[in-house]
Amino acid sequence: MSAVSKWEKMLNLDRRWIFLAIGIASIVPFLIGFGMPISTTAEVESIFDYVNGLDKDNAIFIGFDYAPGTQAENTPMGVAVLRHAFHNNVPVFITAYQPLGHGMALGALEYVTNPAIPGFYQSVSFEEWADLREAGITDKDELIASWESDGNALPEGAKGWVFEGRDFAMLGYAPVFSLVILGMTASIENQFPQDANGNPLIEMPMLREHKSLREVDLAFTTSGSSACRSWIVYGREKIGLPVAFGVTAVMATDYYPYIQSGQIIGQMGGLRGAAEYEVLLFENGITETTDKAFTGMDVQSAAHLLIILLIVMGNIAFFAGGFHKKTALKGRG
Amino acid sequence: MKRTVPLMIVMVGGILMMVQYFIPHQYSQAVFTNYTQWAPIVGAFALILGVGSLTRVHSHKIRRKTKNWQYSWAVLIPLYGMPFLAIIWPQSLAGGMDSPSIFHFFFMHIQVPIQSTMFSLLAFYIASAAFRAFRAKSALATILLLAAVIVMIGQVPIGEIFGRWLPETGLWILRYPNLAAKRAIMLGVGFGILATNLKIIFGVERNWLGGAGK
Amino acid sequence: MRKNWIGIPALMILLLLPALSVAQGVDENLTPVDDNLSTVVTEDSIAATLTELQPVAEEQLEEPDPGLDVSGAITVLDKDNDAGDQLLVSFELPADTEGIYAYNVYRRIAGEEGEDAWNLVEVIPADKLPEFIDGYDPDYPISPGVLYEYRIASVTVDDEEFFGSICKAEVVPEGEIYHTGKTRVLIAGGLFMFLIFYYFGKAQKGTKMYLRPIAGIQAIDEAIGRATEMGKPILYVPGLSYIEDVATIASLTILGRVAKKIAQYQTPLMVPNRDPIVYTIADEVVKQAYLEAGRPDAYDPDSVFFLTTSQFAFVAGVNGLMMREKPATNFYLGMFWAESLLLAETGSLSGAIQIAGTDAVTQLPFFITTCDYTLIGEELYAASAYLGREPKQIGAVKGQDACKAIIMGFITLALALAIIDIAAGTHTLDWVRQVITMPIVD
Repeated sequence: MSAVSKWEKMLNLDRRWIFLAIGIASIVPFLIGFGMPISTTAEVESIFDYVNGLDKDNAIFIGFDYAPGTQAENTPMGVAVLRHAFHNNVPVFITAYQPLGHGMALGALEYVTNPAIPGFYQSVSFEEWADLREAGITDKDELIASWESDGNALPEGAKGWVFEGRDFAMLGYAPVFSLVILGMTASIENQFPQDANGNPLIEMPMLREHKSLREVDLAFTTSGSSACRSWIVYGREKIGLPVAFGVTAVMATDYYPYIQSGQIIGQMGGLRGAAEYEVLLFENGITETTDKAFTGMDVQSAAHLLIILLIVMGNIAFFAGGFHKKTALKGRG
Repeated sequence: MKRTVPLMIVMVGGILMMVQYFIPHQYSQAVFTNYTQWAPIVGAFALILGVGSLTRVHSHKIRRKTKNWQYSWAVLIPLYGMPFLAIIWPQSLAGGMDSPSIFHFFFMHIQVPIQSTMFSLLAFYIASAAFRAFRAKSALATILLLAAVIVMIGQVPIGEIFGRWLPETGLWILRYPNLAAKRAIMLGVGFGILATNLKIIFGVERNWLGGAGK
Repeated sequence: MRKNWIGIPALMILLLLPALSVAQGVDENLTPVDDNLSTVVTEDSIAATLTELQPVAEEQLEEPDPGLDVSGAITVLDKDNDAGDQLLVSFELPADTEGIYAYNVYRRIAGEEGEDAWNLVEVIPADKLPEFIDGYDPDYPISPGVLYEYRIASVTVDDEEFFGSICKAEVVPEGEIYHTGKTRVLIAGGLFMFLIFYYFGKAQKGTKMYLRPIAGIQAIDEAIGRATEMGKPILYVPGLSYIEDVATIASLTILGRVAKKIAQYQTPLMVPNRDPIVYTIADEVVKQAYLEAGRPDAYDPDSVFFLTTSQFAFVAGVNGLMMREKPATNFYLGMFWAESLLLAETGSLSGAIQIAGTDAVTQLPFFITTCDYTLIGEELYAASAYLGREPKQIGAVKGQDACKAIIMGFITLALALAIIDIAAGTHTLDWVRQVITMPIVD
């Protein structure tokens, strides 16, 4: 076999070998877990600092504006901000830009309130605390005191109580969501008379305190498409609503202009962005451990190294085989 | 007539919305509010047409027993089965969309993993495409290649082993050269959008109405 | 602006008068404006106020308790650039703010009587500026052309209210017919539109205009020919976005021209769609193209079809088509997101000639890597002009170039200003930037 044919063979490597290598590079670090440290960037710190400055008198929107396909990257972002908001008692309106996002939002909320997962928040449904609400007890501190004096004890391992209608409202999906955002600049209740569980929004204390997007302090949208732009166009540009993005790594470079122009507070780009937020939550004592995104970064490290190795191999074969002297070689596997 | 009327509607609608942007008056806002109320309704009717199309195409395949016609059942059964489970099936028999229900089970255990798998293929395809296409053929291609390597390593924790300069350089590339190139393309795109919109509003571009025009 | 200013001593007396009348059981007829001063909005607070004030009234001859000081004059202005649904309300703070926790701002339609007519429209914490925009609360909207009255209560930490005088607004809210904040947009938009129309006209008069050749567009014919020779279908994906996305519209215009050529060659065509509205238009476009090509009989109603609205389910569907039907040519023109590489790499795997075009900058590297030809950014919009070679279409492309030249001029100017600022220590560029990028917020 001549040297040239060896290089040619290398260049025409069956792509299934590459797929196998990527598969191994993804699975092995996931099982071993190196836990390499992650430094945080200004783009993510700015979102963290902003949310950290909010309290029970503020309110935020978290938009789960993605389909299940990108959940590995987008869900940890939504979960991290949700945990942060719950920790600071900031009421959260949860929405979805597309029908499948509704399921993603439900999944994230269930994850944060699941007693089987460490650092969970004990959820109290809208009906369960109806008596207290009717008695006019809506302030978070008073609510907790009254709720616990009624004989309810915070389960072991729980980080706190979250009351549906006071701490969160699962609004979910509505058709043509960009126009829904526009409508919510005037009234949230007009767009969502009921939440996803059929509870009337008008009876929710958090809605009474934050009737429109003008009274909301942040819209954090996590997305795998340009759905997040709608929050800029109809929220930020129309009424000055502060907006922050959490986008997939493939999309991340698209939105740097919005950071520089000051139209968004910050951006979490891909799993790395979510991992940075998890690190910030951990370092500030808001969570006791980091979560899935941080674990996933080991996988990314290995995969990126492998891709670089493949690029180097491809170039060595390309030059050593003398293909650079020939006309364009269109590899078709 | 078949084309003149739609063109007139487009022209009047286009100019109206353009002018409306500059008029905050209540009558102008009423026009806009009306539009925002109509748009979802039109969209909902179009969805019926879409589902009709999908059904027609696949029922044709099944009827004609064309190649791979069996897959068409895999489209049609969930297409009608999932709404049936969500709406019609009684709640007492695990109907509805909320957990626990059959719909929720299918959504969480079939749709979510399948879609995640589709997206995760990206990692495999990126590796394959990078191996085949990323060549240091010229000085410019070499710069591109180096920038890509720096950003890729800088984005992952392992990059910090080489020192803070690597992630910092990666971020610098993203924040400045990347941004400059992106803005240049976005400006061109912006004018392209403006010109295309004007062509449509004033009837210069009619292909979208059907056919290649004259 | 009429100022309904009442001096602090007068206000104290006014506050005490109704308390006296309640204590003495005398139903005194005060002036209409003063009538409401003793009354409060909620029953609880009425009771609280009365309980509080009654003993005070009894003892007032010996040791008067003035309660909280109340705010002074209220200023109501019509807000500019609105639909007549907002008013700017501000008021003078009390001279003595001690004990004041917040200010409750009440509004009613002028002329209405009774406590029920008053609506609490804003609560302003004592440490915030005494001003706000009224009309944002969806429960109590402001109607254009209606005259309103306001009154402000100083509120204690226990929610006890002490009312100031009633102020009738001197203005009624009116909607404006021009948004002055959008003048910059009007000027820039007008200039760019003028340029495009100017080149429309110039092209129509017959001026020859040169268009740089774009390989991707020139390859379209070749790609269609290849599929015809191979007897394999052509796949055309008009992006995954909605019809309001101009990239989708641009793609549909190209589809019209491509479909006309395909109809002439009688090559099978597949157009999967993600959005139902785009599907209906794409269907119409292809049908019309076959009609114009004189081949209406060759049109297959199943060639254009809707797949699913779900992003990755759509990718799975299209990739399945590529692997089963093995189209000879794939067109990906329009808006694409994270799925771009999934589509293009599968197409590459199936051995098809691929022509892509998108204005999604992030996806361009993926297409460039895996497709034979890629239309970058605005080339997608220009493609229709290239294919049609109609004078007006070409004029539009030239108009775009002229617009870009202006922007390039601005960038050069900004660069020069930046250098001058560094040299001279001035901040001219910052000032220009502030003027140009000032947000337009309703």
